[in-house]
Amino acid sequence: MMGIAEEIKEADTAEEKGVIISLRNVGVRYKRRGGLFRKPEYFQALEGISFDIHRGETLGIVGRNGAGKSTLLKVIAGIIQPDSGVIVNYGVTASLLTLQAGFDSELPGTDNAIISGMLMGYTRKQVEARMEDIAEFSELGDFIYEPVKTYSSGMRARLGFTVAMYMTPDVLLLDEVLSVGDKQFKKKAEVEMMKKLHSEQSVLLVSHSEGQVNRVCDRSIEI
Amino acid sequence: MNEEVATEALKGETLPPARSVLGWPRQAMQSGNWERACERWSILRQVYPEVEAAWVQAAVAHRHVDQYEVAEELLNAARKRFPDQPGPVLELATLRCEQERLDEAMALMAQARADFPESQALLLKSAQVSESAGELDTAMAFNRLAREVFEDAPAPWLQYAELAMYAKDWETALARWAEVRARFPQHAEGFTRAADAAQAMGNERSARQLRLAREYGNAWLESLQDEDDTEEEAEHTITPPQRRDWRTFIDLVWTKARLNLKSEASKNHLRYLWWVLDPVLYMTVFYIVFGVLMERGGPGFIAYLLTGLVPFQWFAKTVQQTSNSILGGKGLMHKVRISPLFFPLVGIVQNTGKQCLVFAMLGLFLVLYGLPPTIHWLAFIPIVLVQLLLMTVVSCLLAMIVPFVRDLTNLIPTGIQFLLFSSGIFYTIDRIPEEWRSIFFANPMANLLYQYRQIFFENQWPDWSGLGWVTLGSLLGLMIVIVSYRRLEPVFPRVVIE
Repeated sequence: MMGIAEEIKEADTAEEKGVIISLRNVGVRYKRRGGLFRKPEYFQALEGISFDIHRGETLGIVGRNGAGKSTLLKVIAGIIQPDSGVIVNYGVTASLLTLQAGFDSELPGTDNAIISGMLMGYTRKQVEARMEDIAEFSELGDFIYEPVKTYSSGMRARLGFTVAMYMTPDVLLLDEVLSVGDKQFKKKAEVEMMKKLHSEQSVLLVSHSEGQVNRVCDRSIEI
Repeated sequence: MNEEVATEALKGETLPPARSVLGWPRQAMQSGNWERACERWSILRQVYPEVEAAWVQAAVAHRHVDQYEVAEELLNAARKRFPDQPGPVLELATLRCEQERLDEAMALMAQARADFPESQALLLKSAQVSESAGELDTAMAFNRLAREVFEDAPAPWLQYAELAMYAKDWETALARWAEVRARFPQHAEGFTRAADAAQAMGNERSARQLRLAREYGNAWLESLQDEDDTEEEAEHTITPPQRRDWRTFIDLVWTKARLNLKSEASKNHLRYLWWVLDPVLYMTVFYIVFGVLMERGGPGFIAYLLTGLVPFQWFAKTVQQTSNSILGGKGLMHKVRISPLFFPLVGIVQNTGKQCLVFAMLGLFLVLYGLPPTIHWLAFIPIVLVQLLLMTVVSCLLAMIVPFVRDLTNLIPTGIQFLLFSSGIFYTIDRIPEEWRSIFFANPMANLLYQYRQIFFENQWPDWSGLGWVTLGSLLGLMIVIVSYRRLEPVFPRVVIE
């Protein structure tokens, strides 16, 4: 156990180096079965993960299927807490880029954009102010006033992506480079994603593809 | 072997066009096998002596294997054969550079420039020769001339940037590559060589951007680079707060509940009309069964029944719906960071919204039934608020416990049933023995329903002390709820998927 003084010291030096989130020996396990009457069995999803995220960098995490990539993102986003080790957040916001969060297919595109945006952390006004941009970028036009159940899956994906795209947390957490929709929109979405990856924003990208990570990231770590 | 076969073939009477066979020696050159290239060119030269490349390219191949004399011989022959082509002179100048006879090379170029004033390749070569001679200014002058004369050709611009690369002036090189990209976006060098320059400067990030830009285009790259100073871009981005403040949270709950109602309504043809029809039908059923068919409970029983049943239904529906809400929200909980309180609260607000109409229908019924409004109806507001508070506590508590003990979901309908019969909906209070009354009123729902009856049925003010106790108890419960949610917030995302 570190003393408080040491902890403060470490935090200071970390800040000097531009570290905004650091993970030390983080481990997560899920209960697989068991409970009241049976001895619980656990499944170790992550073990002994340590790394720092620096301000402005694009960090890639490579791992096979089931290596715990999504779990790691959830830990960094603050959705779940690690069972062992520590994660220190030096006062930054980190959120997952999620598509179509909280979509209700009975509702029109506008309402879905509002609720989805609000769930991600916008205020209602912020979404409403961007509604025109959203309709334009997603190429939905007047279709945005129609219920989402009447959309094709491509249109749905375009709307979901567009709403999420405006989100700019300090650390953006990505599960694979998202590219959605039909061929033409895919390119547009990818260009936009690449813009995010290379902006001043810090991005953490997890992927199973080492090539993808090497292509776009400043640094990569294997788990 | 191959050569023999080829020679045999070429000896045929009709020769294939020269263009189609040039690939054969060039292939050897590309793979760096210069000796084989020399052999192949010499074969071709015998068959196609009128092709310039057979001479000049052969000289190139020979130069690579250091056979300078052979190369020179070939080139001299070529100059005589093709006096109106600059190619042989150019290659001869290259050869001279290789031999480090730079003065001769420069003299050759000067001569050639006089002979072929229109040749782009010549200007570029002149610049190259001067560069090799270390005369960078002269090289730049030739290059400038080339760029001026052949403005639309990429080669002079590429050389322009390469000159800066040669001088290791990376900054200038980057600027010049940017110009190349602007003029000739299709040329990969504008991106890849610029990336090399950035790499040489130690700027890995920029190098990678440049390489990616080849795929995503120059516009993408530019939008990246001037992101810092465009205000429009800043408007486009939204930085979320680390945690929602309570106002945003309330707005979120409110919006979600409102949209849920809208969504629910849009599933039916009669839409919002159902919110009126549903309670009307419900009350009609009770009216027919108890008021008309059974004629039970004496006059006014139906009003008594409904004033109890309507608020109880509100409670029952809400609790039933919200008890499973956190478990049901697991998908969302794993996508976005959100307080688990969101889930039961949305259900409560949603049901309360619908209940407003139900209460309105009840009021209408009472008036029609012959119980007109009195001043005591004003007390309806505090009573409803207390019930809302109580429901919040009960719903949130159940929603909180259910993820841990899922078996509880099976008990909830029974529990509600029990409450239905123990809250005095179908019977009046005086049927309960005096000594049991305090226990009966310990049930907060029984207490609240009693208050509703007081104002609607008895035309009296409610029993304020009883209402006070329920309020106090609910507030205490609310504190427990808030504290436990704070505590359990990080636990829920784990528990719901276990």
